[in-house]
Amino acid sequence: MTQPVLSVRDLSVTFRTREGPAKVVDRISYDLGPGETLAIVGESGSGKSVSSLALMQLLPTPPAVVEGEAIFEGRNLLTLDEPEMQKIRGNRIAMIFQDPMTSLNPVRTIGHQLMEPIELHLGLTGRAARERAIELLHLVGIPSAEERIDDYPHQFSGGMRQRVVIAMGISCEPDILIADEATTALDVTTQAKIIDEIKGLQERLGMSLIWITHDLGVVAGVADRVVVLYAGHIMEEADVDDLFRVRRNPYTRGLLASLPVPGRTSRRLEAIPGLPPDPLRPPRGCPFSPRCPYVADVCVREEPALREPVPGHRSKCHFDPEDLHA
Amino acid sequence: MTGFVVRRIGQMALALLGVSVIVFALIHFVPGDPVRTALGTRFDPDVYEALVRRHGLDRPLVIQYFSWLGSALQGDLGVSFRSGQPVTGLVLERLPATLTLAGAALAVALVVGVPLGVVSAVRSGSKLDYIASAVSQVGVSVPDFWAGIMYILLFSLTLGWLPPSGYVSPLVDFTGWLRHLVLPALAVGLVSGSIIFRFVRSAVLEALNQDYVRMARAKGLSRRAVLFDHVLPNAWIPIVTVVGLQLGFLLGGVVVVEIIFAWPGIGRLAYLAVGDRDFTVLQGSVLYIATMFLVINLVVDLLYAWLDPRVRYD
Amino acid sequence: MTEPAAETTVGVVAHRSRLRTTAETVLRNRLAVFGLVILVLLVLVALAAPLIAPYTINEVDVANRLQGPSSQHWFGTDELGRDVFSRVIIASRVSLQVGFVSVGIALGLGVPVGLIAGYYGGRIDSILMRLMDILFSIPAIVLAIAILAALGPDIVNAMIAIGVVYTPIFARITRGSVLTLRDAVFVQAARSIGASDLRIIGNHVFPNVIAPIIVQTSLSLAFAILAEAALSFLGLGVQPPNPAWGRMLSEGRAFFQQAPWMAIFPGLAIFATVFAFNALGDGLRDALDPQQRSIIESRGRS
Repeated sequence: MTQPVLSVRDLSVTFRTREGPAKVVDRISYDLGPGETLAIVGESGSGKSVSSLALMQLLPTPPAVVEGEAIFEGRNLLTLDEPEMQKIRGNRIAMIFQDPMTSLNPVRTIGHQLMEPIELHLGLTGRAARERAIELLHLVGIPSAEERIDDYPHQFSGGMRQRVVIAMGISCEPDILIADEATTALDVTTQAKIIDEIKGLQERLGMSLIWITHDLGVVAGVADRVVVLYAGHIMEEADVDDLFRVRRNPYTRGLLASLPVPGRTSRRLEAIPGLPPDPLRPPRGCPFSPRCPYVADVCVREEPALREPVPGHRSKCHFDPEDLHA
Repeated sequence: MTGFVVRRIGQMALALLGVSVIVFALIHFVPGDPVRTALGTRFDPDVYEALVRRHGLDRPLVIQYFSWLGSALQGDLGVSFRSGQPVTGLVLERLPATLTLAGAALAVALVVGVPLGVVSAVRSGSKLDYIASAVSQVGVSVPDFWAGIMYILLFSLTLGWLPPSGYVSPLVDFTGWLRHLVLPALAVGLVSGSIIFRFVRSAVLEALNQDYVRMARAKGLSRRAVLFDHVLPNAWIPIVTVVGLQLGFLLGGVVVVEIIFAWPGIGRLAYLAVGDRDFTVLQGSVLYIATMFLVINLVVDLLYAWLDPRVRYD
Repeated sequence: MTEPAAETTVGVVAHRSRLRTTAETVLRNRLAVFGLVILVLLVLVALAAPLIAPYTINEVDVANRLQGPSSQHWFGTDELGRDVFSRVIIASRVSLQVGFVSVGIALGLGVPVGLIAGYYGGRIDSILMRLMDILFSIPAIVLAIAILAALGPDIVNAMIAIGVVYTPIFARITRGSVLTLRDAVFVQAARSIGASDLRIIGNHVFPNVIAPIIVQTSLSLAFAILAEAALSFLGLGVQPPNPAWGRMLSEGRAFFQQAPWMAIFPGLAIFATVFAFNALGDGLRDALDPQQRSIIESRGRS
């Protein structure tokens, strides 16, 4: 692998709550290569959103405590001061969020919101900023952008709003775009279109992409590599093809089993029984042990390491996949 | 927007009509004969006859109402049962004093409530937030008339800084007018200010937690820019509504506080009319106060529509 | 026929546990607990007032008039030598009584209006709510003064006036909550099996709008007591020689300089009571009504 754009090492996030510390991200490490798409997959509460907000220093501290390193261009993002961070946010690393209905400010025009990062980071003003904004709206496929730029968010449909949000994300041609459930709130057809759009833009701009989702179906279509998060831990990391071919980790198996498979309608979807652990009271040993169908004594006693039995394929489990019998 | 304005004005007219029915009905709730009650021991058959005829109290109710409404629309609210003076004149004479006090109280409330509320929300959980919230909790529970009395006790009778009550015209003695205005304005304004503080704080907190705020931060905007450009423009919308409603409370406070400070406004006029059983003057005062409240709320709603593009462009 | 029974049991359990979590949340809120403690004390004092009060309310002792607080007279004496402490304690009964009765009236009128307006919608809704708007467009204390001026100053009339004045708040809140429910699945389901409107409202709609109403009740009690104090202060509420906090305040005004305690202690009593209801109301809102539906309506007027 070439030199990574972003190197995350032992990133932990702990929330100080009234009932004690809640560790919601626990020593996660990964690399993001240039032009690569990394999918971070997990259920809600797995720490996938929190970990990326932490990278951007967008978590309120306190109550959050962020530890570890995130090296971007030789500098640790987690220790940069606020003015430095502001130069990176929206410019070198951009982030777009789940809900297009709420990601846009209802009392500001689309143009105003789109021009903010352009003026801030590219130094364009007035007409130039406006032209750049119109160009971006064209780029993300918004028809008659010249007129619509002065409209308010409520005058756009959900899909169109998400295109606007994407335009804001790519406005300064960032090195990294973090898409946090960026298509989840959209219907399936729009979702597919938006994904194509983002992939196209990625190729054109040569961005790296971190795609945060709970939807493994989307992952198969967009990602190069996949990190599976559970209860703040990386359970498995692999190239997307490897992951779908050999699931080394029982948790990933459970996730995939709950995915509907086209053409196999008769099989019931298997949801993983039980609930994710309470971050205030994490289980001893393996975080997945209370729900794992293959649980053994050692799993409850000892936390498994994130092993790399095959190069490029890591799994947090005491056992190898061939030891696990469904 | 035009549709909204027309609809809103229509609603106000309707409400005003309803208020007129209530105000008109006031006299007819009085057990027995209101004029006889009003005259009491000063009963004079000639005056009695004149008043009854002047107000058409011997005619059927419906006719009475419409003729009363007709006159009221032309600014004629009858004459005082007590002094025989036209009610409209009596009320209008006192309107500026009431408006001044209400305006000053509102200014106090806004100056105290809004900035503190914003800062408290932005630094929520800080010592300042904690203290301001605790003080506001006390503030909303203090009866404004009692606060007025305590201010007089402290600032006038004990410290001798400000006059305990009364009024001077600003045209005669501006500083004197101002000195008379301070205590009643504080009495009403600080209570309303506590209430406004709480609304501003919760509205700003709510706006701070919106996704678009996080989005704006992710675009690289500074905290300050996000606050002024994204948080506050959204927070103003609920705040404006609440301040509008709050004005009803504030006007009520003004009425009572006028009495304590011998402030020659409509509230004091109404109070004295109650004592004198001067029902036409009471009618006039209530009608004017309610109209004031309705007009203010209309203005507030239009302001609301102007602030919120979702209403503006519908 | 076993299924409905099972369902009911589940419902009851869910209800009870909700009540329990609510209670726990309220009890965790220090301010709410503080308010609750003051209220319990107040109610106990009001109930036992004749036993606690060291003097009777109209025990005139002109020789000891306008005496400052002392061991004999904790809150001093008034212009007739009556014991202010005893009068403040006895007056708590009428304050609480006016508060509860007038809010009861407001609840009794406002909640049904809100239920009907919200549930049926359409023309009934517009007519009822326009009527409420009209009541709402006269500042509360002014409307109460007007009603009392017409009916005559009297404590029962004061309760009616305050009750009428607070009716629109309950109507609005109830209607607002009903609107969010009208098209809820369980209401549709009840309708589809042919349940009568009265039954649907009673069994399905009402239990779900109860939370904001409880919150509003506590906050309205605070304001009803404030309103009663204001009206009595203006001489329109409780009539002499019966003591009321507002009335004592206005009587104390004449003796301001010689006897400030005459105005201080009744005012403190009003403040403490109002504070307690407000604090409890806020705690209840945090627990029961996290979207703070009640907040806009609660402090809009007095």
